[in-house]
Amino acid sequence: MTMTITHTYEVPDISCGHCVAAIEGEVGPLAGVESVSVDLDDKLVTVLGGDDVAIRAAIDEAGYDIAG
Amino acid sequence: MTNTLDDRTAGGGLIRLDVDVEGMTCASCASRIQRKLTRLDGVDSANVNFATHKATVMHDPSVGLDDVRSTVQSLGYDVSSPEEAADPQDWERHLWHRFVVAAVLSAPLVLISMVMALQFDGWEWVALALATPVVFWSGWDFHSATLTNLRHGSTTMDTLVSMGTVAAWTWSTVVLVADLPGGHVYYEGAGVIITLILLGKWFEARAKRRSGDALRAMAELGAKTARLRDGTEVPLEGLEVGMQFVVRPGEKVATDGAVVEGHSAVDASMVTGEPVPVEVGVGDEVVGATLNTSGSLVVEATAVGSQTMLAQVTKLVEDAQGSHAEVQRLADRVAGFFVPVVIAISGLSLIGWLVTDHSAQDAFTAAVAVLIIACPCALGLATPMGIMVGTGRGAQLGVIIKGGEVLEDTRSVDAIVLDKTGTVTEGRMAVAGEPVAVPGADPLDALALAAALEARSEHPIAAAIAAASNPAGEVEGFESHAGRGVTGSVRTPVGVVSAAVGRRDLFDSVPGELEAAMVQMEAGGATAVLVGTETADGSLDALAAIEVSDTVKETSAEAIAAFHDQGLEVTLLTGDNRRAAETVGQEVGVDRVIAEVLPADKADEVRALQEAGHRVAMVGDGINDAPALAQADLGIAVGTGTDVAREASDLTVVTGDLRAVADAIALSRRTLSIIKGNLFWAFAYNVAAIPLAAFGVLNPMIAAAAMGLSSVFVVTNSLRLRRFRGYRPPRSK
Repeated sequence: MTMTITHTYEVPDISCGHCVAAIEGEVGPLAGVESVSVDLDDKLVTVLGGDDVAIRAAIDEAGYDIAG
Repeated sequence: MTNTLDDRTAGGGLIRLDVDVEGMTCASCASRIQRKLTRLDGVDSANVNFATHKATVMHDPSVGLDDVRSTVQSLGYDVSSPEEAADPQDWERHLWHRFVVAAVLSAPLVLISMVMALQFDGWEWVALALATPVVFWSGWDFHSATLTNLRHGSTTMDTLVSMGTVAAWTWSTVVLVADLPGGHVYYEGAGVIITLILLGKWFEARAKRRSGDALRAMAELGAKTARLRDGTEVPLEGLEVGMQFVVRPGEKVATDGAVVEGHSAVDASMVTGEPVPVEVGVGDEVVGATLNTSGSLVVEATAVGSQTMLAQVTKLVEDAQGSHAEVQRLADRVAGFFVPVVIAISGLSLIGWLVTDHSAQDAFTAAVAVLIIACPCALGLATPMGIMVGTGRGAQLGVIIKGGEVLEDTRSVDAIVLDKTGTVTEGRMAVAGEPVAVPGADPLDALALAAALEARSEHPIAAAIAAASNPAGEVEGFESHAGRGVTGSVRTPVGVVSAAVGRRDLFDSVPGELEAAMVQMEAGGATAVLVGTETADGSLDALAAIEVSDTVKETSAEAIAAFHDQGLEVTLLTGDNRRAAETVGQEVGVDRVIAEVLPADKADEVRALQEAGHRVAMVGDGINDAPALAQADLGIAVGTGTDVAREASDLTVVTGDLRAVADAIALSRRTLSIIKGNLFWAFAYNVAAIPLAAFGVLNPMIAAAAMGLSSVFVVTNSLRLRRFRGYRPPRSK
C-alpha cells in the first residue's frame, strides 16, 4: 500500500487554455500520476501522485517555469 | 519576393526562416513555442512574437521548414510559411468569392421562400439545394472559428452566426426529410444571414488592406543606392561601415555617417520634425534618408542596415504596435454574453416543454426556433454599415479613419498629446515681427536689404526672409559663406550697398543692443539673423537683428479649446528647448508642456502618461513621432506630415488644421454611438421574438419581420452620420 502524494506547483506563466492543455498533456501520462489539475486564475498546478522530479521535468518540457 | 531559405547570413552557415504561427492565444504560447524551437537540434536561435504572429528561426542546413512545422504542431499550433500566409488581398478575395456564391444562391432562395406566388411543388427541396452550399461552403469560416473558440470556452459573433445557421439548416432539413406536419423550413434565413455578414466582413477587410504597412513606407524613405568616391553606384546592401560615399545636392543621404569632406545644409525635418536644415561640415554626423539641400558632401558610413537610425525607429514602431492590445470587436463582446443566454433560453424551453407533458418534437421545435430567431441578420451589417457611412463622412471632412477599433479608442481617451512642430505650429520658418535695429537704422529697410540678398539663397531661413519683404534692389555681386550667411552688393535707389546677412561670426562688430535682442529671440526658441553693411574702412557692421521662427497655426488655440470641451487634458510634447515650448504652450493654452524630449523618447513619454492611468491620443506628423503614435491608444497623424507617421496612426487628418483633429474625435465618437445603436436594435428585434419562439409560436412572418426591421433600422440609423458637422463648417472645394 503506497500513499498518494499531492504535489502543488506555482507556474506564473500560465495564461490561457493552451497553457493548461500543454501542462496536462505533459504531466498526465507520467507514471504514478492519478490526476492533474491546472488552475488558470491562481496559476497553480496540482498533481495527485507521481514523482516530484519527473513532474518538474515535464512542466519544463511543456515550456513553463515553476516559481520558487 | 521574400527570401525564406536563401537569406543566409555571413559565416556560420546559418539559415534564417520566417514563418507565421497560427493559433497562439497568449504571450505564454509564444514563449513556449520559442523554447521548444530553440531546443530543436540544429536550431541556433528562435524568436516568436505573439503580437505579429511571426517566428524567426536561425538554423543550420540540417533543419527544414518541416521540422519547424512539426515542432509547432506538436504543441497544438500551426505554421504557414510567408508564401502561404494570408496576405490581406488574398483574404479580401477569399471573402469576396464566398460572398458572391452566397449572394447568387440566396437571391432565388429568398424569392421562392418568401413569395408564395413563386412556390411550386417541392420548392423546399430546391431551397435545400440552394442553402446547403451557402451554409457550409460560404459560411465555413464561421463554423471553424466557432469550433476553435469553443475549445477555449469563448463565444463570439461567429458562434452566433454558426449556431443560428446550422440550427436553421438542420431543423429545416429534419422537417423536410421526415415530412413533419406543420413544419416550416428556414433556409432563407440561414442564407441571408451568411450573405450579409460576409458582405460586412468584406467591407472591413477592404478598409483594412487600404491602411497599408508602416514598415514598407519606412523602407521606401531612404536612398536605394549610394555613390562611391570613384563614381560607381552600389546598392545600399553593399555599403559597409567605413566606406565613403558622395551625396550631391538634392540627394538623400544613403546611410548614417560622418562628414569627411564638404559643407552643406541637410534637411532632417522628416526625421527630427525640425523645420530648419542643419548646417553640417567635416566631422558632423548625418542621418540616413535625410535630404542634402545645398553643397556636395563626402560621408563615411558609421552605421548600416539594422543599425541605422531609420531602422531603429522602425523597430520602435514595431514594438509599440506589438504591445498595443488588440481591442475586441464590439459585436463579439455583445455576442460573448448574448450567446450563452440564448443557449440557456433554448435549453430552458426544451426542458419546459418536456416537463409540461408535450411531445419531444414540440420541445425540440421550440428549442431550435429560439436558436434560429436569435441570430440577427442585421448584426453583420451593424458595425460595417456604421463604419462605412462614418468613414465616408470623415473623408469629406478630411478625416481618414482606419477600421472599427479606432472608434472605440476615441471614446475612452482622456488625454491628448500634441507634437509641437508642424502640428501646433506651421512647421516652417517665417519672420516674426519687425526686426530690431540700431538707432538711426530703419528696421524695414534692413529687412528689404536682407530680402534682396536672401532671394538668391536656397536655405529655408533665407526663404522666410525673402518672403517677408520686397527686395531693396538688384543684387550685383553675391557670395555664399557656407554655414555663416551671404554677402553681396545691392543696387538700391540710394546707391550700391555692400551688405551681409547671416550669423554673428560673419560680422566684424555687433552692437550691444543687438546682442541683447538676439539673446532674447533665441531664448524664445527663435533663430536670430543679423543684417549689416560694410563701412568705409571695410569692416562689416551689424545694423539689425531679424527674428525667424516657426509660427503657431492660427487655428491651434481654437482646436485646443475644443479638446478641452471634449474632456481631454492637453499636453504639448517637443524636442525643442523649454523656453520656446513654454512660450508656444502658453499662447495656445495647453495644460502641460513636456520639452527637450529626444525623438526616440517620445513613445516613453506617452507610455508614462498611460501608466499614470490615462488613455492617450497622440497627434504628430514626423517620423520621430511614429513610435509615439503607435504607442498611443489613439494615434492621429496630421496630413502635412510624413507617410510613416500616417501609417503608424489610427486616424489621419488630411488638412494641417488642428481643428480637424477635434472633428475627427467628435465624428469617431458619434460613429461609435451610432454603431452601438445599430447593435442594440439589430439584437432587439430578434430578442423580442425569442419568447414567441420559446412558447412555440415562431411564425415565419414574425421571423421575417424581425429580420427586415432590424436591417432597415441599421441602414437608416447609419445614414444619420451623413449629417455630421464638426466644430467648423465643412470645407467647400
